[in-house]
Amino acid sequence: MATVQVCEAEKVYILHGIRDDLRVDGRGCEDYRHMEIETDVVSNTDGSAKVTLGHTAVLVGIKAEIGKPRPMVPDEGYLEFFVDCSANATPEFEGRGGEELGMELSTTLYKVFNNKHSVDLKSLCITAAEHCWVLYVDVLLLQCDGNLYDAISIAIKAALFNTKIPRVHISVDEEGGKEIELSDDPYDCMRLDVTNVPCIVTLCKVGHRHVVDATLQEKACSVASLIISVTQKGTITCVRKVGGGSLDPESIFEMTEAGKRVGKALHAPLIKLLQQEESLGKKRQKVGFLG
Amino acid sequence: MSPMKLCVPGDKLCSVEDCSPGTGVYLRHGYIYSSLAGYVLRKKEGEELPVISVVRETETQLLPDVGTIVTCKVTSINPRYAKVHILYVGSTPLKDRFRGTIRKEDVRATEKDKVETYKSFRPGDIVLAKVISLGDVQSNYLLTTAENELGVVVAHSEAGAQMVPISWCEMQCPQTHTKEFRKVARVQPEFLQA
Amino acid sequence: MPTDTKRLRGPDVSKSPSLYFSKPPATVASHGPRADGRQRDQVDIRPIFVRCGLVSQAKGSAYIEAGNTKLMCCAYGPRETERKDETDMKCGRLITDMRFAPFSCPERTSWIQGTQDRDLSLMLQESLQPAICLHKYPRSQIEVNVMVLENNGSVLAHAITCASLALADAGIEMYDLVLGCSMRQDGASYVVDPSYIEESSCSSDRENQGCLTVAFLPSLNQISGLQSDGEMTEATLTTGVRTCIEGCYKLYPVIQQALASTVRKAAPPPSES
Repeated sequence: MATVQVCEAEKVYILHGIRDDLRVDGRGCEDYRHMEIETDVVSNTDGSAKVTLGHTAVLVGIKAEIGKPRPMVPDEGYLEFFVDCSANATPEFEGRGGEELGMELSTTLYKVFNNKHSVDLKSLCITAAEHCWVLYVDVLLLQCDGNLYDAISIAIKAALFNTKIPRVHISVDEEGGKEIELSDDPYDCMRLDVTNVPCIVTLCKVGHRHVVDATLQEKACSVASLIISVTQKGTITCVRKVGGGSLDPESIFEMTEAGKRVGKALHAPLIKLLQQEESLGKKRQKVGFLG
Repeated sequence: MSPMKLCVPGDKLCSVEDCSPGTGVYLRHGYIYSSLAGYVLRKKEGEELPVISVVRETETQLLPDVGTIVTCKVTSINPRYAKVHILYVGSTPLKDRFRGTIRKEDVRATEKDKVETYKSFRPGDIVLAKVISLGDVQSNYLLTTAENELGVVVAHSEAGAQMVPISWCEMQCPQTHTKEFRKVARVQPEFLQA
Repeated sequence: MPTDTKRLRGPDVSKSPSLYFSKPPATVASHGPRADGRQRDQVDIRPIFVRCGLVSQAKGSAYIEAGNTKLMCCAYGPRETERKDETDMKCGRLITDMRFAPFSCPERTSWIQGTQDRDLSLMLQESLQPAICLHKYPRSQIEVNVMVLENNGSVLAHAITCASLALADAGIEMYDLVLGCSMRQDGASYVVDPSYIEESSCSSDRENQGCLTVAFLPSLNQISGLQSDGEMTEATLTTGVRTCIEGCYKLYPVIQQALASTVRKAAPPPSES
């Protein structure tokens, strides 16, 4: 895991600041850093998004492929998550170093999306028990500066918003054999409803308070954090304690309440931004990776 | 006599005002809690507060710590250091194997620059040493024998017989009467009967 | 190898027919008493059976049985760390490994550790670590291995309880015991310590359903592990956590007693001196 060494004096400084609701970079305890979102950044994907949050940068690419539905749920498609911690982000991830973190992130994503309302999986079904769309959500960490969960979840939501799944037509020939035909028109495509896709809010317990969107320095001061994924309506789809410390029940309740509040407030501006960007169409100024 | 109290980790035993903490316990908010599952033992010594500790049937696992005397076996030597396996901490045997290193400059206290590891240890020797550091990321436990009481206690000659120390730096084989160099420990008489 | 082209060959992979067959009865009634006679909407955990010290080779071991969920755990250490690249040498390390026996679930799983097992291992590690006095074991590692023999729901919760027992049996210094409890919310009602069927059933697509597992340090009143999935409102989650804590307190005397009897069996009380 990407970590920094923080000396005792600096820890005390950060702790005292947070106690007074003033963080090292001037934010309050429930403020996010500056965030930039750009969708449709990789042309070979069906949907992609790049999110930078402070110095954390995440790239998400979604590829839709036709697969076989799972036997337990024949009328639904499914999502596959994979998080790659490339050695670009930090040399610690070199070789198998990032595997553990990548696995932790991807299993959490499975849990976050393990419910009926986040993504309409029924719409991904082509023919029941035979063909469905499988969305491969591949997450690439480009830079690590704390708060990976939040950045990844926002990038996934943006990429799902951007995803265009080609329409398919099923024709049945005389012998009863089915044939799948992909639409030739690149504009004839299906969009996903992302209103219920949750966003993750990570709350780091620092001293007696908790902070949103912790930097690496702040993370080094905290022993435990709580990740909460919240939908637009305020339902919580996943909670998880991470880190080696423990939390008392009261502070967990406080943190879920704060997480819900912060998470709910995150969705509306995000959707507005995404719609705005799309409405610009071709006129949109491309920033790319150098912005 | 009432049966001895049993406790499990996390049990509150008493306030710090009543007892002072011994082993197997920890302090939190002015109270003493148990950190082991075992029997609660109170020891009264003179006028001071009784010492409260939690004991188990088996000795709790000790780990080599800075300053403790350890008994180890030399596994390999090279011109810069000798590698050893730590077998005992004080008088308690270790269950698992811990590795240590005796560097050339830690073999004896004087004329450190003239030390040759080959003339101090041989693989298979049993050595008394003291832990000077837990070591860093790359190294193992660092040990020293730079005291009169520390060094080789049991060594075998090339003929295979157990050798007899004849000076602080030499040992002799009782069969062939050849002399071999070692950093010999002057074992304190009170430890000998063990 | 030449294949027999005259015969019709079966498919390469096979799946248990029960997967296709048992679809309708898989939905569990969401009202009335539960299949095993326990009460709904109450902290009604399965009676548990625990015992320490089954594996003589291990430093400490424990076995737990709750209904048909059976698992065993061994604790080893402290021993020399194998990985030297860890930056923090002042503290010990806790290594956890949780595995399912291939026959533990209705469907056979492979011996190779899947992502689910590794995730559970991580959850186990994060839940146990706050309770262990790791600073007392510098430069060494403590290993905890959990083997699930039979999976009938709430595996993680019981694994946490079992592992903390094994650690206490091994004489590893701990601040507190760690107890685990899980619950399943289903609409307005909930079940505590769900069985495998209750865990995996998803009755219609109603709102407000999900699973929650809590690891709790009873004496320090701290939550060391928390995990949930599904969809829940904040209020449900809060009451769910409270319910699980209550469940943990129900386990506490049983675990205390089991540990005490282990200590008593191992040796008579030392003479007071």
